[in-house]
Amino acid sequence: MRFFQKGITSAAVFGALTLLTSFGAQASTLDTVKQRGSLICGVSNGITGFSISDEKGAWSGFDVDFCRAVASAIFGDATKVQFVPVKADERFAALKENKFDLLSRNSTWSFSNEVEQGLLFAGVTYYDGQGFLVSKKRKVTSALELDGSKICVKNGTNSEANVADYFKSNRMKFEPIRFETMKEIIDAYQANKCDVISSDVSQLYAERLGLTKPNENAILADVISKEPLGPAVRQGDDQWLNLVKWVNYAMLNAEELGITKSNVAQAKQSQKPAVRRLIGAEGDIGKQLGLSPDWALNIIKNVGNYGETLEKNVGGKSKLGIARGLNQLWTMGGIQYAPPLR
Amino acid sequence: MPPAIIHKRMAMKIINLHSLCLAAAAAWLFWNPAAKADPADASDPQVDMQIDDQPGYQPSAEEEQLAGPFERQIVFFRTTEAPGTIVVHTADRYLYLVQPNNRAIRYGIGVGRDGFQWAGIRKIIQKQEWPDWRPPPEMIQRQPYLPRFMAGGPGNPMGARALYIGGTVYRIHGTNQPQTIGHAVSSGCFRLVNADVTDLYDRVPVGTKIVVKQAADL
Repeated sequence: MRFFQKGITSAAVFGALTLLTSFGAQASTLDTVKQRGSLICGVSNGITGFSISDEKGAWSGFDVDFCRAVASAIFGDATKVQFVPVKADERFAALKENKFDLLSRNSTWSFSNEVEQGLLFAGVTYYDGQGFLVSKKRKVTSALELDGSKICVKNGTNSEANVADYFKSNRMKFEPIRFETMKEIIDAYQANKCDVISSDVSQLYAERLGLTKPNENAILADVISKEPLGPAVRQGDDQWLNLVKWVNYAMLNAEELGITKSNVAQAKQSQKPAVRRLIGAEGDIGKQLGLSPDWALNIIKNVGNYGETLEKNVGGKSKLGIARGLNQLWTMGGIQYAPPLR
Repeated sequence: MPPAIIHKRMAMKIINLHSLCLAAAAAWLFWNPAAKADPADASDPQVDMQIDDQPGYQPSAEEEQLAGPFERQIVFFRTTEAPGTIVVHTADRYLYLVQPNNRAIRYGIGVGRDGFQWAGIRKIIQKQEWPDWRPPPEMIQRQPYLPRFMAGGPGNPMGARALYIGGTVYRIHGTNQPQTIGHAVSSGCFRLVNADVTDLYDRVPVGTKIVVKQAADL
């Protein structure tokens, strides 16, 4: 009995210690960011629509805007963010080495990128996947009509294997034409050396802009692989993970509730509890994230809701013109579904 | 009875008389004192393109060829609606014709003032090739040069085809103003370029279910 009691006591002490340490660690990233007065975001440089800086050093893109949304939630100011460009093969190590607070860089949420790298993904901001670009002249409406095609793929990527799996499971044949760079692929396609280009859909839209006649080429609705892209953070800081996660969910919920950059000022007069909660007119969900009550309002005001941000950077209002597809809200034909803010 | 309902009923009556969707906007404007007869009311955020109808105008093939997102295309579309159903998302300016296997044919649309006033589930009750156009008196008052009647054909603001939505004054129709696709416009319901409305017309029979969704409001 005595032993048992001792056991309980030491377990309790140990538990409390663990709690304390982990609590200490939890607050650290947000505290560091607040003390510094700005967020540091790891981004890519040169992906049109997602993350790119112009000659004056001004950043734009969907991934960049997500960083601005996090900065808005913390500081109420979208400009309090520094962008650190990082290469694909260095991004995860750089995050672990505290080179930035958050990685918002076209990163696929996969087992290896999360578990093997020892990181955490805060959500899926963009569902990408491998697709097909084909001339409209061929009048193809589905990838199932591509039997016997010559398909240009990038060497050393999963692209060819994905195409092979898809064609095999649909009892179709194809001839892979491999190149080292996307430029070579585009040239080969324009010289009719292949009928189809297969790569991630977001990349196909970007590359299509470089074709001689972009509008004569279509990107099929079929997506044959899963490339869920999202922001990643270090393990061991639950508060920071929650904050980043709920910035994304706040933007999604805002779109679902009809709160936009242009009407957010009137949202305080709304009678809908979900709207009032999100913008901080009722309750204080921001406090539990270590933020002010108007954290979500500031995101919408400064950056916009999810759909606005997506459309502006990569969708119908951008030169890329990517169809929303999977990234449409679940109520509107897509699979973007955010847990409720309550 | 709230004034809004009176206006709606009067508008309905006029529509019955003139039997056209384009009339609805003007009728509403006429009977709603707050709206006055000036559709160039920039304070209405839902109407972002102030353009009068241009009867007789025949757009070129280039103008009618939409590019980018509003071009007719097959897209991923997850829905519980059966293939063959029409789904309209007014906020995005898209009309979807549901296909099997999580696909839809997506058409770019222009949404008129009336298109924003209603959401619901209805059926297509009638189809018409090259519908005639009878501008209502209110519209003629505003644009006195408009014809009193215009037989269906190229240059007609109603466009090449019309699909009538049962139980409402609303319809899906063509247009001779392709530049209005993708916009909120001052008149009409759901307008498509003529090639698209013809494509849709050939694909959907009378009795087709139509679901119209508005964006959530605050």
